[in-house]
Amino acid sequence: MTSYSILTILILLPLAGCFCLAPVWNRPEWARPLALGIAVAELALAGWVLVAAPGMPPAPGAAAGYFLWEDAAWIERFGIRYLLGMDGISLLMVALTAFTTVVAMLVSWRGITERATLHYFLILLMESGIMGVFLSLDLVLFYLFWEVMLIPMFFLIGIWGHGRRIYSAVKFFLYTLVGSLLMLLAIIGVYLIHGDATGTFTFALPLLAKSPIAHAAAPWLFGAFLLAFAIKFPLFPVHTWLPDAHTDAPTAGSVILAALLLKTGAYGLVRFGYPLFPEAAKGFTPLLYVLAIIGILYASWIAYAQEDMKRMVAYSSVGHMGFVALGIASWGPVALSGSILQMVNHGFTTAALFALVGMLDERAHTREVSAFGGLWGTMPAFSFFFLFFAMASAGLPGLNNFVGEFLILVGVFRITPAAGAIAFLGIVLPLIYTVRLVQEVLFQTERRPLRLPDLTLREGAVLAVLAVIDLYIGVHPKPLLDILKVPVALLTGVAP
Amino acid sequence: MTIADLWTIMPLLLLACGSVLVLILGAIVPGRYGTAIGVAVCAGAALWALQTPPRPLAPTLGVAFTPFARSFLVLFAVTALLSLLLAHDHADRQGLEGEEYPATILFGAFGMGVVASAANFLTLFLGLEALTFAFYILVAYDRNRPASGEAGLKYLLMGAVSAAFVAFGIALLYGATGSLEIGRAVAASAAGGGIALAGWGLLLAGLAFKVSLAPAHLWTPDVYQGGPTPVTAFLAAGSKGAAIALFLLILPPLGEIGPLRAPLWGLALLSMAVGNLAALLQPNVKRMLAYSSVAQMGYVALALLSGGRGYEAAAFYAVAYGVMSLAAFGALASLEQERPLEQVDELRGIGYRRPFQGVVLAVAMFALAGIPPTVGFAGKFAIFFAALRAGETPLAIIGILTAAASAYYYLRVVVNLYMKPAEEAAPGPLPTPAEAVCLGAVTVAILALGVWPGPLFDLVEAILKA
Repeated sequence: MTSYSILTILILLPLAGCFCLAPVWNRPEWARPLALGIAVAELALAGWVLVAAPGMPPAPGAAAGYFLWEDAAWIERFGIRYLLGMDGISLLMVALTAFTTVVAMLVSWRGITERATLHYFLILLMESGIMGVFLSLDLVLFYLFWEVMLIPMFFLIGIWGHGRRIYSAVKFFLYTLVGSLLMLLAIIGVYLIHGDATGTFTFALPLLAKSPIAHAAAPWLFGAFLLAFAIKFPLFPVHTWLPDAHTDAPTAGSVILAALLLKTGAYGLVRFGYPLFPEAAKGFTPLLYVLAIIGILYASWIAYAQEDMKRMVAYSSVGHMGFVALGIASWGPVALSGSILQMVNHGFTTAALFALVGMLDERAHTREVSAFGGLWGTMPAFSFFFLFFAMASAGLPGLNNFVGEFLILVGVFRITPAAGAIAFLGIVLPLIYTVRLVQEVLFQTERRPLRLPDLTLREGAVLAVLAVIDLYIGVHPKPLLDILKVPVALLTGVAP
Repeated sequence: MTIADLWTIMPLLLLACGSVLVLILGAIVPGRYGTAIGVAVCAGAALWALQTPPRPLAPTLGVAFTPFARSFLVLFAVTALLSLLLAHDHADRQGLEGEEYPATILFGAFGMGVVASAANFLTLFLGLEALTFAFYILVAYDRNRPASGEAGLKYLLMGAVSAAFVAFGIALLYGATGSLEIGRAVAASAAGGGIALAGWGLLLAGLAFKVSLAPAHLWTPDVYQGGPTPVTAFLAAGSKGAAIALFLLILPPLGEIGPLRAPLWGLALLSMAVGNLAALLQPNVKRMLAYSSVAQMGYVALALLSGGRGYEAAAFYAVAYGVMSLAAFGALASLEQERPLEQVDELRGIGYRRPFQGVVLAVAMFALAGIPPTVGFAGKFAIFFAALRAGETPLAIIGILTAAASAYYYLRVVVNLYMKPAEEAAPGPLPTPAEAVCLGAVTVAILALGVWPGPLFDLVEAILKA
């Protein structure tokens, strides 16, 4: 395999997989393993890249920090290129995507009985789109993948969701579309302003970032980018689509939404927002701080009041992503590495929590906290994992989230002590609702007898792998931080 | 006029003679040859136009076989061909008989071809009227349905008024400039003073009717809804394309858009706002698409008033809107059995009952909403690109916000197709081979031109420069 085409293969393999499903369209019992096989192949490829890529010599023509690079003309008259690149940040995101897709398929293995092939088709299509988002370095190409990944999620929620699934699906789609269409205008604006100023008309990020926009319109353009990313993030007050989408999505949808789609917003801000408009972004820092902190506190507060476990996890996501936003807004090397690491951590932890709630829902057909109690006695394996991931989510030292939150807080303290101090509350608050959740569901006396079977081997295996990863990152985050060192230093201009 | 001239305008002659031939043949052997001959004629016209090099013609003809004319002729011939294929099976199912149907479609294509190749204001007017007359007939063709006749009458009355506007506008321009030759008259109109300006105003008003720009759009929903669905497909794809071609014939010679900017600005703004907002409220699927076409033409107006790159964007959008309309209305036509589809609700679960048409319709909706990777996105991108380039930032922002709102009603169709349970679960009939070919082709075009729009952009740049 030449290193030249790996990135394209990463994007196209799941897409090709979609077409492979066509012959077995009416045979879900064949389609399911086939789709899983493709996702596993993609994971193997991503895993190989994760191991091999940092050691590769930089590709010819690549910008600093990128070890894989693909560049070809696409729509030349507009200066749009097919430009893909992978640095440490994309690498982690790609690995997370490949892994989460396999998890999403496994957790919905039995839950999806209707139109199963279509379900796996959409998951593969979405994987392709998300890979594209994390690998594109041309603004229009990025926008293309950014929109493409919406469509499968819209269908996943709308077709297999529950409750007000159509309302949630449409809300999700429209929210994101409003943000991203304004971003499209801003993308064109960047192109024109940059071209007029430098004579180089291009949508390629490396060229655009070389001479950042210093124009009166820069705050507006950054604002449009920020809005698009903040909706995905989701930052307060444009987060309201998220609890609805999460609550009504099927388990696989929730897992992908939490673990991957939210990350695309944060990733976009890190990759495009700040490098394109460093000056304008600095002006927005106080606003971002405030929104992030409101998000952290408010989400934890609301989460405490939730009766629906899925909604509770969804709101906790808003809180966790608030931390990520805080770290990005401080734009210091330590906090930024923490944010990116926290994106990965949140992906693993929340995916596991949604999977657990989904498993409970599959068995008991309810997600109300008040329906359960004393599960530790009847479902010990489930309860063990539930407790484990709830604690990981709350930031127990030794588990992965603690590392990310710690780095973010340290970094923010160093730059803006006040913001760090208030955000510290955000570490405490999740503990309150997590303890309540665990206490009510697992420990207190049984409210009504539920004869629920414990985890199957498939479920246990998925969770065990997730738990091992959580633990590994928790005690030994150095390899991941090493991967991030170079790109973060390049982004912030400061060695960590 | 020489033999060589006739040879060059053969595509137009083929369409006109083909139309007559189908009519006569229908009188002698009433049967099923109409569509076959029509398809052959359209294919012949398209191929002929493709292989004939552009050359100047005798000025008395009033037409010019420019690269512009050649490309648009191919587009219209292909559109007519696809519409004929759609109309044939649809007519069988809905009991619409007679050779007049394919013959009139051919005549309409002839009118479109004349518009695109006109070098003279009179020819332009004749072409425009030829194509509109064809549609008066086609829209009213379904005699069993009162709505169809009503729509035809409404279109006729509105069309007659707009024709009067256009004719008077041309007369004033002629009076002010002393020339009927398009390029010369338009270029001279800048110095023509008030009379020329009044001429432009009337021309613009008349053309706003033809492209259904708000506030001259009121006929659109009734006509779209009333006409047989394949006719609506042809109307949306072909006649809108011809009207855009017309704009592209008369606006670029003007150079500076100057005093026309304000009216076009207003038309674009109103069309984007009114079209999208009205479409939000429509329960009837064809009316909804009609209002959406008002909005889509608003984006074209935004491109036109941006000039330069905007003309290229408008020409690109003529093709883009053509394939999207053929896909949307074609899929609806293919879904219609013995009676027309009315409400969006009737599409419930169709995505599973009739998967092929469902996919085509869904792709068309995403394309119309401007979601990548479709031709609709490439077209909108080019339009907003041109608008920002030309400094029309406020209108571009309004445009993008209304585009976001438009996603809601396009999504409603998709929601009905895939997310609401069907009233009956059994799979419906498969598309006929002709429909499958036609819908398959336009769907592939929507995606292919979305992923790889470069060649088409190069083409429109070349034909507008030449």
